[in-house]
Amino acid sequence: MDANPGTTSATPAGALPEESRKRRFVIPERFFRLQSYVALVLVFLAAIVFSPRRGGETVFLNPENLLNILRAVSEIGILAVGMTFVILIGGIDLSVGAVLGLSATGAASLLMVQDWGVLPTVLVVLAIGLVFGATQGYLSARLGIQSFIVTLAGLQVARGLARIWSGGQGVPLAYGDGPDVAPTSFALLNSRTFNGTIPIPALIFVGVAVIALIVVRYSVFARHVYAIGGNERAARLSGIRVNRVKVAVFAIAGLLAAVAGIIHAGQLNQGSPNDGLGYELDVIAAVVIGGTSLMGGVGSVSGTLAGALLLGILNNILALNNIDSNVQLLIKGIIIVAAAGVQAFRSQQR
Amino acid sequence: MMSRRATVSRRQLAFRITAVAAVFTLAPACGTESDAPGVGSDGPQSQECGGTDGEYLIGMSQANVAEPYRQQMDDDIDAAAAEVDQFEVVFADAAQDNAKQVSDVENFLTQNIDLLIISPNEAAPLTAVVERVYNEGIPVIVLDRKVEGDAYTQFIGANNVEIGRAAGEYVSTELLPDGGNVVEIKGLPGSTPAQERSDGFAEGIADNQGVTIIADGTGDWLREKGQSQFEAILQAEPSIDVVYSHNDPMAEGAYLAAESAGRAEEMDFVGIDGLPIPSGGLKAVEEGRLSATFIYPTGGQEAVDTAEQLLIECADVDKELALETQLITSENAAEVYAENSTG
Repeated sequence: MDANPGTTSATPAGALPEESRKRRFVIPERFFRLQSYVALVLVFLAAIVFSPRRGGETVFLNPENLLNILRAVSEIGILAVGMTFVILIGGIDLSVGAVLGLSATGAASLLMVQDWGVLPTVLVVLAIGLVFGATQGYLSARLGIQSFIVTLAGLQVARGLARIWSGGQGVPLAYGDGPDVAPTSFALLNSRTFNGTIPIPALIFVGVAVIALIVVRYSVFARHVYAIGGNERAARLSGIRVNRVKVAVFAIAGLLAAVAGIIHAGQLNQGSPNDGLGYELDVIAAVVIGGTSLMGGVGSVSGTLAGALLLGILNNILALNNIDSNVQLLIKGIIIVAAAGVQAFRSQQR
Repeated sequence: MMSRRATVSRRQLAFRITAVAAVFTLAPACGTESDAPGVGSDGPQSQECGGTDGEYLIGMSQANVAEPYRQQMDDDIDAAAAEVDQFEVVFADAAQDNAKQVSDVENFLTQNIDLLIISPNEAAPLTAVVERVYNEGIPVIVLDRKVEGDAYTQFIGANNVEIGRAAGEYVSTELLPDGGNVVEIKGLPGSTPAQERSDGFAEGIADNQGVTIIADGTGDWLREKGQSQFEAILQAEPSIDVVYSHNDPMAEGAYLAAESAGRAEEMDFVGIDGLPIPSGGLKAVEEGRLSATFIYPTGGQEAVDTAEQLLIECADVDKELALETQLITSENAAEVYAENSTG
């Protein structure tokens, strides 16, 4: 797991001597850094305890069930990786759900209506996500508009573009050879590999996660991200090209939203302008539960992954126990507040 | 492929082996097993029927309980299943998200349900997972909205074209036999029911040349949009005789607009749905705001009846069960409300 470089190098907390802390009870910083993993383990154990049993088998631990969870969180997880970078620089991206919808609609339309092949479709849709995100980053960095506002506008624009592209309708996918059907290879996204066990979207999610963890651990770019989130002025004065990093961060978020959108279309055999409605909120929840501070500079990709998995396990175990859907909303709300509460405690302690 | 059940019947096992084998021969190059529709085999019907001694877990996957009609559907199923000792029903709500509904159905499979009732959010995205359930030999009852293909046991739904036609005939024969001006408040553009309720209505009024649709508004199924759209229409049209709305909430919104303009007495309001809840169309007719509504049945009771036939009586059922609408006027509104209210 990554070492969370930001908390030690870019933020003032790590630099303070131990005596200057005024609190009587000092919870070690290490605990907070591990907060989301502790929470993940607790939820996992709780899921085992509360899981229904059938003939001596714990239903929750059934490998197929665990893989279902991984498949179900793959889209939110991929979006959350991009969102983590955005939140680390102290920004927010409200457009990810809409860009997912735009990408899903675009992919389905290109495959079905324009009769494109899989590779050009994927490349063009990824480029759309990248450019969309980069544009938002540029507007936010250059014009100094808060990213909340820019991406709020971006959300509307992406939904509007998706509706215009497909005439407001969902585009169902049908597979086969010839005109008016999509190439069969796109159906891979709706399939499982290794003898029909591992869902492809889960594999892509794991791949994205691994790349992100490597980037965070070893790249200069990630250090710049943490530096900007910790203190933008100081980062600028120390020679970091802040605007360039910001544009790149939003471009990554847009690109990953496009990846999730393509998966969405493949998994559901349809691309619709309404896809991904409200996903941005689940994504932000995953990032917050993962211990990343909305103030920027503090947090980690691995924490976000833990947060996304935690939400997935929670959804699953609530469903397996047939908890009323209205009560499920309450439980999720309480967990988000609890995670944010621990974060608030952490920053007070500084 | 993992065995999901504690006991797998020989027939099911045989099917799984052939299915896996078939997929491998179909796609030897990529070596994956596809969940896509069209791949796999035609549904083997190994019924889960165990007679009156059995106990059955029924999963009900709802598209979105935020819509009153769908909450009513769940309530109807709950009430009907409470009458059958052998049934336990578990509910899931997809909150209008196709991806969530796929997960909901997967979770039902994990829970080993004996029968699936599903009211799909949209057809194409739910087809594959419904097919998967059906191919495991679990009966599937599809409610209100269809899935693609025929990998389900029974579809239960009302015909929106018929309901629209019934509304059109009622307007042209009862309300406006001598002709008049109609305003149509439409549901969400692009949604099938909005299109069908509109087409049916046009057919229904076709015989009476005097009835003309002079204006239409788009209310997106929502009360507040029905109100604002009809406010604008009221400004433009001095003479309106009937307001035909694709659902009751929009009709109520239009009524509010007319009332605040002081013109509610000049016209009749006709809606569709007729839900037996305090905020529903039956009450609106009973209290005189709407002149008529047409019941769009939820099919909840019928779904449980079908489940009883399949699981307890071991009977065969028809592939499709069409539900009848019912005209509600001030004469029968209170009576029908009392009959159908589950609250």
